[in-house]
Amino acid sequence: MTDGFGLLLGAHPMIEKLQLSVPEIILFVAAVIVMVIGLSPRVQLRQLCGWVAGIALLAAAFAALLSPDSPNALLPDLIPFGKTLIAVIGVLLVMLVGGAADREYEAAVARGRVFDGIRSTRGEFYAFFLFSMMGLMLCTSADDLIWIFLALELTSLPTYVMVSISTSRSKSQEAGVKYFFLGAFGAAMFLYGFALLYGATGSTLLVDIAASFDSGINPMGMLGLIMALVGVSFKIAAVPMHFYTPDVYEGAATSVSAFLAFVPKAAGFFVLILLLATVGWTHGADENALPDAVRVTLWLMAAATMTVGNVMALLQTNVKRILAYSSIAHSGYMLVGLLAGPGGGAATNGLGAVLFYLMCYGFMNLGAFAVLACLERRPGMEVEDVDDLRGLCRRQPLLGGVMVLCSLSMLGLPPLLGLWGKLYLFTSAISAGEIAIVVIMGINSAIAAFYYLRLMAYPMLEDPTERSAELKVTPFAGRIIAGAISAASVVLLVIPADALLQRCNDAAQLGDVARRAIAEAERNEQPPAPVASDDRVADADRPR
Amino acid sequence: MSLVGAIGNDVLTLAAEAASTASGSGPGWMAAVPLLPLLASALCGLCLAGRIRSKLPAAIVVLSIAAAFAVTLFGFLGRADGAQVITIFEWIGLSWGSGPGETLSADFGFYMDGLSWLWMLFVTGLGSLIALYASEYMSGDKGYARFFAAFALFVFAMACLVMGDNLVLLYLGWEGVGLCSYLLIGYFYKRPAAVAAAKKAFIVNRIGDLGLAIGVFLTFVTFGTVEYDELFRMIDEGVAANGQPLEELWQTWTIPLLLMVGAFGKSAQLPLYVWLPDAMEGPTPVSALIHAATMVTAGVYLVARMFPLFVYDGVPHYALNTIAWVGTLTALFSATIGMAQFDIKRIMAYSTVSQLGYMFAGLGFLTTTGAAFHVFTHAFFKATLFLCCGAVMHGFAGQLDLRRLSGLIHMKGWLIVSLAMLVGCLNLAGFPLITAGYFSKDMILSQAFTTPDSIVPYSSLMGWILLITAGLTAYYTFRVFFRVFVGPVEYEPGDEVHDHGHDDHDTHDEHGHDHGFHPHAPGWAINTVLAVLAIASFAAIGTYFVDKDHHGWVGGLLHDSSAAYHAPAHEHHAAAPELKHGGVMLTAADDHGHAADEHAASHEAGHDDHGGAHAEAGTLFGQDPHAVMYYVSAAFGIVGIFIAWLLHYAGRKTAAKSKADLLLPFLGPIPTWAQNKWYVDELYDILFRGPLWLISHLFHIIDRLLVDGIVDGVGGIPRALARSLRVGQSGILQNYAVGMAGGLGVLLLIAWILTVAG
Repeated sequence: MTDGFGLLLGAHPMIEKLQLSVPEIILFVAAVIVMVIGLSPRVQLRQLCGWVAGIALLAAAFAALLSPDSPNALLPDLIPFGKTLIAVIGVLLVMLVGGAADREYEAAVARGRVFDGIRSTRGEFYAFFLFSMMGLMLCTSADDLIWIFLALELTSLPTYVMVSISTSRSKSQEAGVKYFFLGAFGAAMFLYGFALLYGATGSTLLVDIAASFDSGINPMGMLGLIMALVGVSFKIAAVPMHFYTPDVYEGAATSVSAFLAFVPKAAGFFVLILLLATVGWTHGADENALPDAVRVTLWLMAAATMTVGNVMALLQTNVKRILAYSSIAHSGYMLVGLLAGPGGGAATNGLGAVLFYLMCYGFMNLGAFAVLACLERRPGMEVEDVDDLRGLCRRQPLLGGVMVLCSLSMLGLPPLLGLWGKLYLFTSAISAGEIAIVVIMGINSAIAAFYYLRLMAYPMLEDPTERSAELKVTPFAGRIIAGAISAASVVLLVIPADALLQRCNDAAQLGDVARRAIAEAERNEQPPAPVASDDRVADADRPR
Repeated sequence: MSLVGAIGNDVLTLAAEAASTASGSGPGWMAAVPLLPLLASALCGLCLAGRIRSKLPAAIVVLSIAAAFAVTLFGFLGRADGAQVITIFEWIGLSWGSGPGETLSADFGFYMDGLSWLWMLFVTGLGSLIALYASEYMSGDKGYARFFAAFALFVFAMACLVMGDNLVLLYLGWEGVGLCSYLLIGYFYKRPAAVAAAKKAFIVNRIGDLGLAIGVFLTFVTFGTVEYDELFRMIDEGVAANGQPLEELWQTWTIPLLLMVGAFGKSAQLPLYVWLPDAMEGPTPVSALIHAATMVTAGVYLVARMFPLFVYDGVPHYALNTIAWVGTLTALFSATIGMAQFDIKRIMAYSTVSQLGYMFAGLGFLTTTGAAFHVFTHAFFKATLFLCCGAVMHGFAGQLDLRRLSGLIHMKGWLIVSLAMLVGCLNLAGFPLITAGYFSKDMILSQAFTTPDSIVPYSSLMGWILLITAGLTAYYTFRVFFRVFVGPVEYEPGDEVHDHGHDDHDTHDEHGHDHGFHPHAPGWAINTVLAVLAIASFAAIGTYFVDKDHHGWVGGLLHDSSAAYHAPAHEHHAAAPELKHGGVMLTAADDHGHAADEHAASHEAGHDDHGGAHAEAGTLFGQDPHAVMYYVSAAFGIVGIFIAWLLHYAGRKTAAKSKADLLLPFLGPIPTWAQNKWYVDELYDILFRGPLWLISHLFHIIDRLLVDGIVDGVGGIPRALARSLRVGQSGILQNYAVGMAGGLGVLLLIAWILTVAG
């Protein structure tokens, strides 16, 4: 179908983009549908919301797998890979968020209260969920700063609302407000950075920026780039933009925290990869290296992020806060992959390692959150205290097993998936010559063992306490299934880990457009005046 | 990474590999020999997990080992001449270059020659019999399935050790049998003595294993391979992997020394013998199979297997000479201890150490045939003896003290046990003409006098020591028999109702504890096994007379194995008869030249090219030792038995006292010293354990103060850091925004310095 359109319309750029956007379009349609049926007074129809969202995500996953080549994208293979990964994790997240937003209200309706569309939040919750996923997908195919900005904000804005409406507690609203203000602050930073980038290069197209930067970056460009990088780091919860993370994760419903821990983070990493692709990469003695300032910035952020995440997690007794800090630490690890950059084969490609780790992290983190979302003291009051996990394996073998496997995987214990993720980050960084950061990462992994082992030991080795024995399992089977699938993935995906890494490696390759533009710039051998980029744009057959 | 894929590939290439690399390849179904017991072990594990408390595990194990025996027998009957290499699958294949010594390949494959066939036949044959015995002996024990799981695993490991076609697989089996031995010695893990004995066995064996491991490494470094086939070819050619002639390499004589250390550990030779007597804490079937018949002969097997290297020309034979001396002294030393013990199972343990000493002495005197024949006969009669002791222990609630038991043969139901014991004792004592033990021991003894001093210095001295030891052996063996099995009927039950608890017995309830103790005679399984083994011990003589050319059936098998390794040596010798080390090769090759007494004249004619060696051959009373030894050793044996009869049977009225007690005043403290094992354990305590204890406590203090301090200190750093960082995590929105802005500012400043200022 898409090819037919392509022939018919002579591959008009707009059409090409629409072809690429089939998954997003599917999600958009689904979002509109759930918004409508979520308001239905019939409970059966309202219950379809989750199914519609899940099926739409599955369809989007298939559409992403089948999506056409996009020769004009900066990292063309990132698009199908990223979107498929997003949709697969998205399906698990849909299972997990069931009953998050409107459980009390639905319970009241079931008791006989008259349904009022204004007060129900189900439709908008799922719609926002899908909008956010859509924004995340758009991030992978971005080729322009404006697009990046819009995609990032489309990812983030719905999450502010989702956090606020996820529970009826005031804590959630506080978290939502904090998240919104700090998110806006972060957005302002990278938007300012984007503006400076445009000012320095005269283009918002990433290809043009790359071509312009190829022969040197002027201070304004560098300023813009650093601001953009730091601003986008808000999405991945990296130091110094990490402050909101524990508060927001703690305030939101557990399933929404799981959503926050993956979706904006993935968006942030896709955008960071795209932004960094404009300035080249460090890889051993490669001349095409990251500029010193960018490298040092990333290095400092990586080191600080993993260290702060891990040491702060040590002091926590609230599991959600532990997982929040652990998600900060994982961002730090992934920044190491960005630092290493692409190069060599699958085992030395830092970007491939980041994508691979993102996948590992998606599964293992989701599994850990799912266990928390499954356990409650009374309806709607999910467990948060570490002590509540004591003896879980004895009382709930499945949930306990999921918790044990996922926390051990996050620790990086062989042979679970987390180990391979960390291993590829290590190998890529070592082959890039970034030994110091690898040492820091190793030390951090050791520190992390302390709290991950606690998450493993409490369920597995301890006896249930009186308090933890009172806990009940939520009536939402989807949460248990999501947890079980995550744990199974953590174990089973080890088998095709090699093939998956190869896939990640392919997804992290610079496209022809970027190469051509850079080669063109090198041929000219002139310090490119920003204005001169017009010719190259024509050459690259890109619209302005 | 993709482990599954790699394994899959290996399996696919397996068949092709097996077809292409094997020289004289054999049948792949021989894989059933190790794998059936392994499967049985796994099934027993399942029984254990499923808490099955029937005799199912025993049935599985008996059948699987019997099947392994059948397969071995079948393969043996259809074997080809020479060594067969059977590759089952590619096990280890590492390569870091294409040059010599840059590829380590160790397949899971078998090297089947006379030596490994012989060993496998008695390992699986005895294994199935003893498993049958154990099915009754262990009945009612809570760990029934656990016992048989370890038992079957032992047979698997032993098969790997013996059949493996490379030193790495041998090492796997070596450690495997060590592990199973540990598990089975410590089987009654609630008894501190058993746990201590298990640990002792394991730790002492580690010392030997270290030697073996270094020996294997050094072999690989020197020869660039660990596979026997390749190894023997290179030794034959006399060239190491780097092209140097072996004569010039120090490894040529060090590797045998290292392997020897491993053999001493596993086969309980001085000074590493201390673990074996204690190993009797394990259930008796284990003592019979592992600690008498099979595992402890692994050292003999190792030396025989690597014999070409031990007898390599042109380098001094330090290892062989050491082996001869250590074997001789071990034989004497443990015989003296055995004489003064009262626990009959322990006496058998010391006699095992002593007999192993004979085997090593035989190896040292270059008669691998004698050593292997003695291993073979000893396996049967010592298993018989142990199983008899086990039956006694089983029937008398753990009583093993020869002062508290007497006249068993007169008691109802104990006839078969007593007769089997008599057969075993006659064999061990080397009673002339009618016992296999007599012939196998003679072969070693006469070789001691035959081997010229130029090859094994003072060999006739060692021969005399061994002869005296033979007399002592006859004495202590029949001391047991005359005290326990004949004489006035008298018994006293053991204080410990042995651990698998008579109370648990469903079938033997007649000896309830409320109306006194009644010994319960062994049942059909034990009696059958004892009868079969007793007959087999006798029948083993037959093998001595079948293949006269090679000095018996065992000799024929050895002749066709690496332990003989004669063919190239003969050629070599024929080409250069003036080489003075020809004698080594002659005797090493095969002692049939010297051995066959009545054929002495004819073989001398037939082996003229070995004349130089003959001139050196020693004599005994001016005669050919092989002829004279029959009478001499018979005399020593009979005298020993006679003394035992005199001291322990003639006129004995009670179990506790015998005429031997009358001698005590004349011997002074010697019997007490011997009874206390010459205080070797105490000596080791002072020499090794004391210093180790001191050092370990010193390290413990250092660990507590210094290392723990550092670790705790380091562990505190993240927490301290976290406490300081926590201040920033105030929960106040404005503070967070300031933090973010500040962070951005710092990063921008650094970037500014690096781009503009830098």
